[in-house]
Formats: sequence, C-alpha cells, structure tokens
Amino acid sequence: MSRPAPTPIYTLRGAGSALNTLHFRCNGEDTPLLFSGSEKGAIHIWNLNSRRTVEVVEAHSGSSVIWVSTLQSAGSLLSQGRDMQVCLWDLREGGGELLDSVWTGSVGFCQCSLLETSSTNHLLAFAGQQTEEIKIIELPSKKPVCTLIPDSKLGMVMCIKLWKPDSGIGPLLLAGYEDGSLLLWDVTQRSVLSQVRAHPEPVMCLTFDPKHLRGISGSSEKNLSSWMLDSQNNIQLRDSVELLNPGVSQLCVREDGRLLASAGWDHRVRIFGWKKLRPLAVLQYHTDMVLSVAFSDHQDSRQRLLAAGSKDQRISLWSIYNEGAETG
Amino acid sequence: MPPTMSQINDPKIAFAYLRPACVLLTKEPTVTNVETLSIQLKEIHDASLQQLQEYVLFPLRFVLKVPGSKKEKMVQVVAEAMSYILEKTCVQSWDTLHDIFSELCLCLCSPTNPGTPADASEELKSSVLRCLNALLHAAYGDIIFKLYEPIMLPGLGAAISLLLALGEKEKSRDIQSAALKCLQTLVMHCDCTHEHIIPSSDERCSVGSNMASFLPGITTAIARIITGDLRQGHAVTVRAIKVWSRSVGLVMEDAQLQTSNSQKTPPQDLGRIRQLVVQRTPQWLKSTAGKLSVLLKKIISCTSAHRHWRVRLEMVELANHLLATCSQSLKECIGPLLEALVGAINDEEPKVRERCEAALREISQRSLSCRDATSQNFTNVLSENLHSLATSLPRLMRTSDDQKKLFVLNVFLGYLKVLGPLVSVVLNSAAHLERISKALMQVLELDVMDVRIVEERSYADTIETSSDSRDSYSAHVHRKHFLYFTDERIFSVLMEICRTLGYYGNIYLLTDHLLDLYCQSLAYRKQAAMVLNEMIRGAAGIALATQSQRLDSEVQGGSASQEDLKAVVVSIMDEYTSLTNWHLVTVSEETLGDRQDQQLLSPSRLLQISNSDTSSNPANSLHVLASSSASAPPSSSTSTIHQLNSNIWQMCIQLEGIACFAQALGRDFRPLLMTSLYPVLEKAGDETLLVSQAALSSMMDISKACGYASLKELINDNSDYLLNDVSLNLQRLSQHPQAPRVLTVMLAHSDSSLLPLIRDVVQDVLMALDLSYNHSAALFCSVLHALMKALARWFSSSCCRTSNSASSKTSTEQEDFDIRQFLLDYRKQKELAEGIGIEVDDTEDLEVPPPAECDEDLDGPDVKPELPPHLIITKDVMERCIHLLSDPNLRLRLKVLDVLEVCVYVLSERENELLPMAHRSWPALLQRLTADDPLAVLRAFRVLCTLGETCGDFLRARVSKDVLPKLSSSLARQAPISVKAGPVYSHTQAYKLQLAVLQGLGSLCQRLDLGEADLDAVCEACLPYLSCRQPFRLQEACLSVFRHLIQVDPDTFWFTLNELHCPSLYTPPHPDLQPLQLSGMGRSKDEYSDNVLKLLREEFGPESVAASRDGD
Repeated sequence: MSRPAPTPIYTLRGAGSALNTLHFRCNGEDTPLLFSGSEKGAIHIWNLNSRRTVEVVEAHSGSSVIWVSTLQSAGSLLSQGRDMQVCLWDLREGGGELLDSVWTGSVGFCQCSLLETSSTNHLLAFAGQQTEEIKIIELPSKKPVCTLIPDSKLGMVMCIKLWKPDSGIGPLLLAGYEDGSLLLWDVTQRSVLSQVRAHPEPVMCLTFDPKHLRGISGSSEKNLSSWMLDSQNNIQLRDSVELLNPGVSQLCVREDGRLLASAGWDHRVRIFGWKKLRPLAVLQYHTDMVLSVAFSDHQDSRQRLLAAGSKDQRISLWSIYNEGAETG
Repeated sequence: MPPTMSQINDPKIAFAYLRPACVLLTKEPTVTNVETLSIQLKEIHDASLQQLQEYVLFPLRFVLKVPGSKKEKMVQVVAEAMSYILEKTCVQSWDTLHDIFSELCLCLCSPTNPGTPADASEELKSSVLRCLNALLHAAYGDIIFKLYEPIMLPGLGAAISLLLALGEKEKSRDIQSAALKCLQTLVMHCDCTHEHIIPSSDERCSVGSNMASFLPGITTAIARIITGDLRQGHAVTVRAIKVWSRSVGLVMEDAQLQTSNSQKTPPQDLGRIRQLVVQRTPQWLKSTAGKLSVLLKKIISCTSAHRHWRVRLEMVELANHLLATCSQSLKECIGPLLEALVGAINDEEPKVRERCEAALREISQRSLSCRDATSQNFTNVLSENLHSLATSLPRLMRTSDDQKKLFVLNVFLGYLKVLGPLVSVVLNSAAHLERISKALMQVLELDVMDVRIVEERSYADTIETSSDSRDSYSAHVHRKHFLYFTDERIFSVLMEICRTLGYYGNIYLLTDHLLDLYCQSLAYRKQAAMVLNEMIRGAAGIALATQSQRLDSEVQGGSASQEDLKAVVVSIMDEYTSLTNWHLVTVSEETLGDRQDQQLLSPSRLLQISNSDTSSNPANSLHVLASSSASAPPSSSTSTIHQLNSNIWQMCIQLEGIACFAQALGRDFRPLLMTSLYPVLEKAGDETLLVSQAALSSMMDISKACGYASLKELINDNSDYLLNDVSLNLQRLSQHPQAPRVLTVMLAHSDSSLLPLIRDVVQDVLMALDLSYNHSAALFCSVLHALMKALARWFSSSCCRTSNSASSKTSTEQEDFDIRQFLLDYRKQKELAEGIGIEVDDTEDLEVPPPAECDEDLDGPDVKPELPPHLIITKDVMERCIHLLSDPNLRLRLKVLDVLEVCVYVLSERENELLPMAHRSWPALLQRLTADDPLAVLRAFRVLCTLGETCGDFLRARVSKDVLPKLSSSLARQAPISVKAGPVYSHTQAYKLQLAVLQGLGSLCQRLDLGEADLDAVCEACLPYLSCRQPFRLQEACLSVFRHLIQVDPDTFWFTLNELHCPSLYTPPHPDLQPLQLSGMGRSKDEYSDNVLKLLREEFGPESVAASRDGD
C-alpha cells in the first residue's frame, strides 16, 4: 500500500498573476528567501520563515518576467523580462533599485543561463535578436564574449544551459531549439561539438547534471528525453520517459542528484528518481498549468523544499524525500 | 500648663519656690498638699528640676513610706506627681532607683499577699504603673543594668509576677496594657517615642541570662493572655505578643548564646538566690525551645486568622523578629514561624501584606546571601515544609472549609515566594516535583457533571451577532466548577501558585513533567493543561505580584528567557493541537447526525498539515511518545455526558492555554500564529457553545497580546496563513471536515479586504463542493451562506440602493394624500386615457418610478467590463445553488434557498447579471414554490420577494402565469376542506402548505407590484380564509395577505371588503351626488364580518368602523 498522497506544506498566494519562474536563496545565514517572477512583471521576494512577501519589485514595465536569479557574491538579483531586458537589481538597500540592464533583443521565451567564473565575474548566456542566435557576455563588464549561430536552420532558441566541465576545457553550452534539436556548443571555440534531434516538437526545457554528465529535456509532447555526454562530448540519447499528459514547462534536478521534478501542463508536478528515472510521486495541488519548479539550496538537507509556481497564481511548497533513506 | 517661657529656670529660685510646699507636705501629708506641690512642679524648668530631683522626691516618697493604711487617693496623687518628675528628669543613683522601684511595687501588691495585686482602684493602679514605667525610662544607663543583677532576682521576679498578674487578670484594658507595657520596658524593648538605652552586647547578655529565670513564667502567662478571651481587645493582644516575642528574643538570642559569657557561672556569694539563677546551658536551651515551640504553635493557631489586622501584623513582626534573632536556638520553631509568616503573605490588609513581604524578602535574601550551614538549614526547612504541605494538601482540600483551604494555599504560595529562585533547586528533587504536581492535579480536579454545557449549542448566528463586544461573551461564560472548592479566591491562589512555579522553576523541567502527566492519564489531562497554561504565564512574569512587590527585587527573576519560552510554548502547543488532543468529541452521537466528525476520531490519521514542518523542534520525541501512549479517545458510541463534558472542558482549557501563551510571548507570538490560529478558529466554529465561546475569547486575547487592534485585524493580517490551511484541508475534506467552519468564522469576523484572498479559496470551496457533493453539500452550504452573508454585509451600500425603494413608496404616498390633487390627477389621467389611448392599467405604472436605472444597457453587450470580484463569486455560488435546489434532502434545500436569497440580494446590484441567473433558477424555484414541503415554500417565497425587489418586471409575468394560478387554485380547493376540519387538521401537510402559501403570498404581491387581475385572483382565493370558521392561524395568515394587498391598492380592497361586509352607511355630503350602494351594506353578521371589521379598523382607521355603531 503506497503512502497517502503528499500535500504541500504551504502555499504562497497573492502574487496576482501566473508565476513563470522561481529561484531559492537559502544557503546563507540570512533568512531563506524565494524569488518569483510573475506574468505581470512583478518579482516577489518571499520570506520562507514568515511565509510572506518581504518585497515586491515591479520590473520590466509590466511585461512578463521569465527568469530570475541571484549572484552569489553580492546581494543582487538578475531578472529577465519579455521587454527584452535583463536587469540587475540591488537588494541590499530595501531592494528595488535598478543597477544595470542589458538589451537582449530576443522576443522568445528562452531563459538566460548564468555561470560563475570567479567570485566577481559571471558569464551570462541569452538568446539574441536573430532567430538562432545565442549571445554570451561577461558580467559585470557587459563585454560580449561570443555569439553562437548554428549553420543550419533550427528555429528559435528555446532553452540554454551554460556550464563549465571539470575536465578543464572552456565553458560548454547546451541549447534546445524550436525544431527539437539539441546542440552542444564549445563556447571558447565557438563550435558545435554535438547535435541530436531529441524531440519531434520544440524543446521546451532542459536540465543538465554536470556531475553525472546527464541531462533531460522536455517538450510539448508526452516524452521526456534523457541523454548523456560521452567522453568525446557527444550527446547520446538514452531512454525516454513517457508522461501521462503532454507538455512540460520546466525540469529541475535536485542538487544532490537524486530527484528530478517536472512542471507539467497537466497541473501536476512529477517526481522521478534521477538515477533510473523511476517515477516516484505525482504532486497534485494546482488548478492550472505548472510553469516552474525549483529545489531549494538549504545547507541542511532536511529543510530542503520543492517549490512549484503555477498559472493559477499560487506557489506550492513541498517537503518531500528529505529523509534520505526513502529516495529509492 | 503654663508656657515654657515663664518656667523657672534658676535652681535657687526654684528651690525657694518649692521649699514651702515640700516642707508642708512632709508635715501634713494631705492630698491638697500633694496637689499644690504638683502644680508648682509644673512651673519649674526641666534642668532645675533635675537638680532638685532628690529633694522634691523626698516628701513624696516619705508619704508612701509612712506606715499604716494610706488613702488610695493619696497614693494616686503621689504617684502622679512622681511620674511627672520622673518623666522630666533622670535617675542617677542606684539607691533611688532601687528604692522607688520597690516602693512602687509595694503600692501595687496587696499588703497581705505580696505576690498578688492589691485590690485597689483602677485609677491608682494605672497611675502607679505609669510611674513605674517612667522610672524605668528615667534610670541612667549605668544603673539600670544593676536591676538585672542576680542579687535583684527576687525583687525583679516579684515585680514581673505582679505585672503579669495585672496583665492577665485585670478587667480594665488600660491597666492590662499598661502592665504589659511595663513588662516590655523591663525586657528592654520599649517601643515608645522616648529615648532608650541601647545595651551593649555584654549588657544584653547579662540581662538575657538573668531574665532567663523568668522566661518560663513570662511566656506561659503571656501566651495565656494572647490565646485568652477574644473580646479583650486587640490592643492588649498586640501588646502581649510584643512582650512575648521580645522576651523570647532577649533570652534566646543567637548572638548572646554564641558568645562564651552566656554560660559563665554566677558569683558564689548569692546564698539562696543562687537557686533562682538559670544557666543557659545547651540542655536548658533545648528543653526551653521545646516548650516555647508548643506555646508558639498555640499562639499561631490562635492569631493567624485573627479578625483584627493589627494582631496579624504583630504576628508577622513576631515571626520576623524571632527568625531574625533566634533561628539557631529555636530551630524547632522555624517551621511554625515561617508558616505564620507565609500565611500572611496574601493577607487582606495591605499593611500586613507589605510588612510580610518585606520580612520574607529579608529572609530570602539572608538565606541566599550567606551560604553557610544556617541558610542551608533554612532552605531545607522550607523545602521540607513545602513537601509535607504538598502531601497533606489534597487531604486538607477535601476536608477543611474554604477559609482554611485558602489559608493553606496561601502558605503554600508563601513558601514558593520565600524560596524564590531556590524553587528550581527544590524542584530538581524528583520527589518534590512529583509531590507538588500531584497535589495540584488532585486539587484542581474539575467537576464535569453539569449537563447544560453539552446541551448548549452555538449556531452560526451567535458568532456573528456578538462578534465585537467582549462583554457579551463574558456575561454568559461558564465558570469552571471544581470538585474540592467553590471559592473563586481559592482558584486564583492556585493559579498564582502555578505562575510562581513557572516564574522560579526550570521551565523545561516543569513542562516536560507536566506534559508527561498530560499524556499519561485522562484523569490528569485537564489539570495538567491548566497548570501548564498558568505556568507559562508565570514564566513570562505575567500576573505575578506587582513588579515592585516581588520578593527578589535584586535577584535575577524569571529563569526562562524569551527563546526558552518560545521553544516550550511550541512544544506544548504541538501537544494541544495534535489530532488526538484537539479533535475531541464534544457532541453526543444523536446530535451529531449526518456529520462526518466521527471519521476524525481514528487516531491513525495523518498529522495535521500545520504540524508537519516542526521536525526540527525538540518536542518531537515527546510528541511521538504522546500519541502512542495516550489512550485512544473515547469512541463516540460509548461517550457519556460525563466524558463529553470532560472533553469540552479540556478543549476550553487548551484554548485558554493558547491565549496564555500568546500573552506570555507578546508580539513574539505572531510567527506562531501560522500554526495556532487555524485550530483556534476551527473551534470558534464549534457547535458547542462553551467551546466556541472559549475559542472566541481566546482569539480576542491573542489579538490583544499580539498587538492587533481588533479581531478583524487579527484575522485580516493572518488570513494568508488561515486560508492556506483552509485551502489545503478543503482538498482533504474527509480528514479535515472543519475547514469550511474555519472559513465561516473568518468570514464572520472579517471585512472586504479579505476578498482578494477569499476569491482564490472560494474557487477551492466550489471545486470541493463539485467533487464531493453527496457527502458534504450541507457543510458547504453553510459556508456559502456565511460567504454570501459576508458579501452582503461588505457590499451592502451598493446593494441596498434598490431594496427600500419599493417598500417605502406606498407609505409616504398615503401621508400627503390630498383629495383635491387626487381628483385633478384622476381627471387628467382619464382625459389622457380617452384622448391619447393609453391603457388604463398604466396609471399604476406611472406612479411607480422604474425600480432600477437601465443605464448599463447602453454599454452594449460587446464591451462588457469585468465584473467586480464579489459579483463573480456570487454568480458562481448561485450557479451551484441552482443545481442544489432540487436536492432530495429537505434541510439542504432549505439551506440552499437561504443562500439563494442572499445571492439575489448581492447580485441585485447588477440587474443584467441577475436576470439571466434568475431565469436559470426559475424552473427549480417554481418547483419549490408550488410542489414542495411547506417550509421550503415559505423560504421560496422569501427568495421570490427579494428577487421581486430588483426584477419585478421580469417576475411579474412569470408569477402571474406560473405561480399564482396554481397557488390560488390550490388555496381555493383547500378552503372548504379546512373550514370543516377538526383540530387534527393542523398537523397535516395540507394545512401547513396552506399556511405557508398564505404567509408568503401577501408580501409577494406587494413586492412584485402585481397587476389588478392578479390581485383580484389572489383576493378571490384568499377571501374564504377570512371566515371565522377557518383554523385560527390560517385566518391570521389571510389577514396578513389582505394587509399587504391594502398597502398596494387601498381603494380597491376597501371596496372589496365593504362588498363583503359593510358596517356603516355612507350618506353623500351633497344631495346632488348619488347615494352610495355597497353590496355588503346592511348585511347581518356572518362568518366574515369579524375579520373584515378587524381589517377595516386597522387599515382604514377606527372611524370607518365607528360609523357602524352610529348606523346601528
């Protein structure tokens, strides 16, 4: 007999519109925070202790916020909006102060990807103005590093992931395109290392686990497609997982590499064991599409949370598989 | 007395002035001469008098010495004169002191038997005593101690026994007091305002050792005085207590006994006197202390509850004095002394209390400051006392009367206060902790036999009506009834004991122990919770003796920090609100009806969602232990009233507890509202009156403690926490059936600022309703009703626009009715009708302004602005109502009709939203109106009336087409049956239906503003019911129909009624006018006439009927 269906430990409400993106910051000494970006351009900062908003930053002049992140070193917040801007906010002085912004020129939904190269410098990858274009710049100098355009027509860039492999070579970038292709770029060489067609439909989202060199991508159809990088940096497709209902907005692997969460268009969050992609749980609470999922970065693994943001304007917080033994 | 200025200051002149009188007195000892002298004495200055002291005293003493019987008056005046001199001067010579002392003693004793007082007049005794007192005061420091030398023992002894005899046997209180006063001076503890000699420690020692000889005599005699006649007046008793304590203090003083000279052997040359000398050896001390403790106990038992506060105050002084001076020598007495002292700590008289607190403070500081054997001993005594008292407490509480109980508890409290911070040390002993907690458990046992509390029900209405005034609750809040006491004061002392324990004790230890008790047995659960609640308050320093009076003003106070408190509160609250302890059966099974509450009782439920994030707190281990060891809650089938009551009280106590915790933490409680507010609100919606009241008052305390201005603010500010739980639990309704109740309470106490959040949850509610509408539709209907009522309240300003337009119209018209204007209007209308061809019906419509403006229509259907949220909600709710209107369950249908009525009211703001909804609900509503239970019919009429206020036009046609024909035909059909029916008829369905229809019809006609034809039809159908042969209530209902009809169209129905029965003849005012002919005229009395007359009289004024008298 399976255990009763889990329920969220709390739901955050009052965002007032659909929640596109979530980002935790819980690893410091400070109050654990959750950032959420809404369709109406508001970035809510939630205090996870009091479970209330600390602050609301009205950003991107009301257009949808599609990505938020924080920089490790300074108390600053990055946000990307559909007004084609990536903005840097200062959070220390009561927040809400715009420090800097970058124009991306992209009209798509592709979220940025951030890579910390040193304690002060970051690389930021984002979709550019042209259809297949990906731009990488350095922060905080805003100096362009490179522009990556594939030779063939692949359609719009849908999702990207920038990371630096342990092997020591320069940063690599994974990108999913509108026609379902998945490309691995070497950023320093500006060359395509590998290319596969992972989905028949556009790649909606992807996540990659640099430790195990494995990744998974989702699309608007029923299949999640998993793949891995071999030693020659070739993308090799592995098993795919079939979902009950089509459409995935976001995928997220927990930091310890044990769990994978998917944000489904069927209002459900599904949890898989990351190792074998065994389905573990279906989290049912939302009454509309789930648009984003995120695992918290608590240092104490028992406090770790899963957050899901949905079109029904609520964020649900879940505490699941935290005991360690039950991860299966 | 001449002023000081004119006093003679020169000794020589004084001598010359006094000499003649002295000489004369020596020669002729008469009263007059003594008086002359004493008058002259008053003119001499003190200094001169001092020089002439011996000289002046001589003739007076001579008079006393002269052998033979003296006249009493003589002795008295002499004593008075001597008193004057002695009060003004000092005695420097031992001989003088000794002689006068003996002479005065001789004056007091009877000549035949020197041991007993003379049988003299009171005045004499009084003046001699005064003189003796003055003498003792006048003696110089170096000579007064000679009085206490062993050689003087016989004389001193005689004097003391005389004084004791006077103090004990004398009838006059003044003399008793004076004698005791002398004794007090003799033991060197006079408390008058004169200067006194302060003896050195050696001197004290010798005085003490010689007085030791008399101690047994003094103490027994004085003890007799103290414990003697209660009527002797408090002054004597007070004085006696003083003497007792001072003499004991003098002889048994620790300071003396510790020095070696207390035991030095007396000089050898005393002869027989040696037998009188007492050596204060350890053996002597021991036996004396034993005897003294017997006396002391007697004294304490007699005085601790003395009626006069001065006596009690003096006892405090006694205890304080002896504890301060003789705690070593009188070890056996420490217990009783402390008991006496702590017993007075809650005295009614503030002076006693203050003194007692000061004394206790001194003592506790003494015991804290010196860490030697003494203080150790002291603490031991205290903790032993406490232990033995705790042991005997349950027995005492069962057997003694309230006064005694109160005293015992005060003593208990006193010990705790004296121990102060040492309480935590004492409680470290498992035996003490166990004993004290058990004692409290037994004493606080509740009487749970009251049947009323189970029966009293609270329905949703009561929550709302009295939502803001605190008084309305406290007025009928039940007091707790205890098995072993009734006095409210006893309860408050007990609570203070708990608070003091919490304040001084180790809060973790106490909480653990009490939570164990709480979990261990059902029998102790309530008491343990009560104690825990107060303890936490105490630990936060709430409601302890006001800050300034605290015994430990300097010592660090409460041991618990805010952090500790918070941790403890969290663990207790987890326990309280755990499923097994929070969801207790408080409603007996038969009233439980179709509720699903029983499901809750199985203990193996999921933990409540609000508890699941407390994994990090230390109480968790305890928690697990609790749920496993706690005996399963009584299953509802076996629950007797006794158990139900017990559960109800436990609920109340736990609710009070949460309020206490909030008070203890103040604003720091706010984060805990996340988990605690929901359970409280859950109980605020409880069906048991007592529980819901307790929850409400708890809510108010919480809101005050957390710094919210009102309940509303509390709920509004924390609505996110509440709604989170509500929304989650709505999805798991089988496990958490109270979720709708919480929402109901929230709605009742909140305002429209809740709306944005509510909107979200309402969707949850509706979804849950859609999913589980077989089981819990009734539950949801009450939520929806509460929701709609709240919306109606919040947005009443926008709704009420249309509501009173219809009702007020007719009444105002009648007031300024002007016949001339009427005729003019009538003519105009008539001309219009003939000339232009408007139907006659329209005259009525023209009088009525259209009920609602139709501006909205101009916007057109394409640009439809978004509706305000409350209207969206209302529409959603109404949608469900339409579905549920035809539910087979009658109660549900009734509830739905109620909801529908409010929906219509709220939606009346937007006619173009209401009309489609009304259209959709019409078929179902029609069924309710025409083919349902009478109760439903009645409510359906109400809905219809409300609907009629806004969309009268819409309804008019439908009502006249669908409703009225059916109703009037059924009424007409039933009328002949009910006329003939017997008394049993009133129990039939048909009767109830008739009644319901008649009751509703009137107001419906009025609200809808029906056309003439319809009114006629109604009138037609109702007329048979005006018959006095109809059942009385049907007649009443029918009268109400006519009253409404008359409101609509007075003239028509005046005419109709008069057609039926016309009481008066109307003669035209002018012969040109045609005479009036009504078919009811001149008709003899029949079955209708009574009701017709009644209507005419009420509605058209008495003159319309009075005329009939003239006519007859």
